[in-house]
Amino acid sequence: MHETMNCRKVKETVFLYTDNEMDGEVLISFREHVSLCPKCERYIRRMEVFLTHVRRCHRASAPDRLRRRILTSLPHRQA
Amino acid sequence: MAKATQGENWGWDFETAAMPFVDSLYNTAYRMTRNAEDAEDLVQETYLKAYKYYDKFQEGTNFKAWLFKILKNTFINSYRKRQLEPLKSDFAEIEDAFESQVSDEVLDKVKDPEQELLKDVLDEDVQQALEQLPDDYRMAVILADLEGFSYKEISDILDVPLGTVMSRLYRGRKMLEAEMLRYARDHGYLRSGRPSKMRSRPRR
Repeated sequence: MHETMNCRKVKETVFLYTDNEMDGEVLISFREHVSLCPKCERYIRRMEVFLTHVRRCHRASAPDRLRRRILTSLPHRQA
Repeated sequence: MAKATQGENWGWDFETAAMPFVDSLYNTAYRMTRNAEDAEDLVQETYLKAYKYYDKFQEGTNFKAWLFKILKNTFINSYRKRQLEPLKSDFAEIEDAFESQVSDEVLDKVKDPEQELLKDVLDEDVQQALEQLPDDYRMAVILADLEGFSYKEISDILDVPLGTVMSRLYRGRKMLEAEMLRYARDHGYLRSGRPSKMRSRPRR
């Protein structure tokens, strides 16, 4: 039997939950705790908002010269 | 992904399979090296190594993760020594960054505190905060949050156990959040010993 879920464990494992890396009984007890604990619910929401900010951060695109440089350096193109 | 055995189509197959990942690899390289010139060299080197070892790639496994593993190894071998001094952060302090920086007033009145606090954090602030993270944490966060790899894939790319992936992600994200909240505080949202600043914000 797994350890009972509590606020501390929710904080420790919050990213497993937000990353969809949690399953089985742990997920069930995590959800149960959060549904009954407004503080933990708010904490999870906070982490989700934070992650959304990180995930939508601008991505650098490879410059065209890099693409050209890679392609021309590949041995099969030099044959 | 179909992979030909070493033959006349070899190089073209590699090219077709590998080139779609050039933006992802470059973005990660850029965030790890922190400069465009090194990032281009790192990606170039990654492609040449991937080409050379293409016959070692096990069909049916994740090709993108394989390319990232080569990028990671190349980075560690050739670029890591040039890294900046890591951010001096005490983990215990980081843990409570949010609780200690956010005034109770905000928490009580704002329905969605993190949303409210972070909405003034600019994209470049996020990027700058990301750049401040120590290499190991930065890499884990990039792989998870910018490239969408699973814990298992990150574990394969970084050659570390799942537990290490989890702890690097946890600590890296907590450091990142603390940095972002610091920017938010600088923008005037958070408790800074000058509560009047908070009251001066226009109400909607």
